[in-house]
Amino acid sequence: MSEMKKIKNLKEFSTSADRFEGANLLCPGCAHSIIVREVLNATNDDLVLSATTGCLEVCTAVYPYTSWDASWIHIGFENGSTAVAGAEAMYKALKNKGRLKQPDRNPKFVSFAGDGASYDIGFQWISGCMERGHNMMHVVLDNEVYANTGGQRSSSTPIGASATTSPAGRVSYGEKKNKKDMVSIMASHNIPYSAQVSPNKWKDMVKKIQHGMAVEGPVFINAVSPCTTEWKFDPKDTMMLADLATDSLVFPLYEIIDGHELNITYRPKNVVPVEEYLAAQGRFKHLFKDEYKHLIKEWQERVDANWSYLQRREEARV
Amino acid sequence: MANKGWDEFEIGAMLRSFDGSIDDIAGTAQVDRTYSPSSSYTASVADWRLVKPVFNKDYCIDCQFCWIYCPDVSIIARDKKMIGVDMDHCKGCGICVEVCPTNPKSLLMFPEQAEEEAEIASWPAKDEEK
Repeated sequence: MSEMKKIKNLKEFSTSADRFEGANLLCPGCAHSIIVREVLNATNDDLVLSATTGCLEVCTAVYPYTSWDASWIHIGFENGSTAVAGAEAMYKALKNKGRLKQPDRNPKFVSFAGDGASYDIGFQWISGCMERGHNMMHVVLDNEVYANTGGQRSSSTPIGASATTSPAGRVSYGEKKNKKDMVSIMASHNIPYSAQVSPNKWKDMVKKIQHGMAVEGPVFINAVSPCTTEWKFDPKDTMMLADLATDSLVFPLYEIIDGHELNITYRPKNVVPVEEYLAAQGRFKHLFKDEYKHLIKEWQERVDANWSYLQRREEARV
Repeated sequence: MANKGWDEFEIGAMLRSFDGSIDDIAGTAQVDRTYSPSSSYTASVADWRLVKPVFNKDYCIDCQFCWIYCPDVSIIARDKKMIGVDMDHCKGCGICVEVCPTNPKSLLMFPEQAEEEAEIASWPAKDEEK
C-alpha cells in the first residue's frame, strides 16, 4: 500500500504537478477540467484512466493531441468503466502470477464519464463493475445534459430545465421528470464508498477522493459540473454556480459508506433559497414567468424534503 | 511524430505524451517534463481569448484559489507561490479573477491588446465599500 498524499492546505496542494494539460478544447470556464484536476492531483500514485464519450473525451483527445499525462483509454460511449475494470483485472492477474515489472507500484484505476454515459447509456456497465467488486473509482461529471451533442435531456436533467429535446415554450415548461438519485442507486450495490462532491469544495473533494482510493473495492463519485454552455451563464461564474448549487442544497455533499452509513460532509451556514440557484441560469429563465411560478415553490419543497431525508438517514444509519 | 491530417487517422491510435520515459510523472514539474509534440501542452489556445488576465503580484497573497479553480492549468505556481499566467493555455474565462479574494484584486481582465505594464501602473485602488 502506497502512502496517501498529504494535503493540509491549498498552498501545499499547489505544489502538485498536474497530469492533465491545458490547450484541451473544453469551453472556457468548463468545470469538467477543474474536477479532473482535483481528482488527479489528490494522489501521487500511477493512474490508469478512461473517459467515455462526452465533452471530456472529445475535447481532451483531439487527434493528434492528448491532454493526459497518464495511461488513458477511450473505447465507446457506454464502456469506459468496464475498460478500466478490465485493466484492473489484468493488473491483479499479473500481480498474482508475479509477472509485474514493478510490483511495488500501486496504480489507481479511475474512469471518468458524463451524466449521459453514466445515468443512461453506461448504466448497466457501471452497475456490473460495482457488483463485481473491481478495485476502481467511477467519477461522474454531472452537468445534467448531453452537452457534447447539443444539449439533449438526460435522465439527470431536473424538472423545469429547458433542453433541446425538452424545450420550454408556450405549451411546456421544459423537462417534466426529476433526476435519478444515482448515488443512492450505486450505494444500494453495497459498495464500500459512494459520495457526492462539488469542485468548489476542494478540500471535501480531495478527502473523499483519497478515501475512495484507499478503500478496497468499487467507488462511485458524483461531481456536479456547472456547464456554461447548456446551463447558460457567463464562463466566469462557474464557481459561483457551484457555490449556489451546494449552498442551496440542490447538490448536498454527502458520502455513503458500505451502502448504509450516510454522512453529510457539508452543512452550509447560510442556506440560499433555491430561487437564487435557478435565477442564475438561463435554462430556468421561463420558470420566472407568472404561469410557471408554482414550479419554483415545488423546487424548494423538493430540495427541503431531500435534505430532511438525508438528515434522517444520517441519524438512523440505514 | 509529425502532425498528420484528419484523413490520415490511424485506427487504434496510441499517442505518447512524452518523448522517452519519465519514471515519476507526479513528482516532475511540468517545465521539467519532455513533452512529445502529441501532448496538448505543446499546443496553444491563445487565439480563443478576447480578454486576458493580468497579474499584479503586489497584491497577491498566494492563497492559490486561482490555481485550484483554473480549468486550463494556466496558473503557474512554484514553491507555494503564484508566479504568473500561462498565456499559451489561458482561454480567458475569468474564473481566476472571480475567485481572487484580495482587495483590490490581484488579477483583473483586460482586452487582449492591452499593454500589461501600463495596466499594472494604473491598477484600481482599494475598494473601501467591500
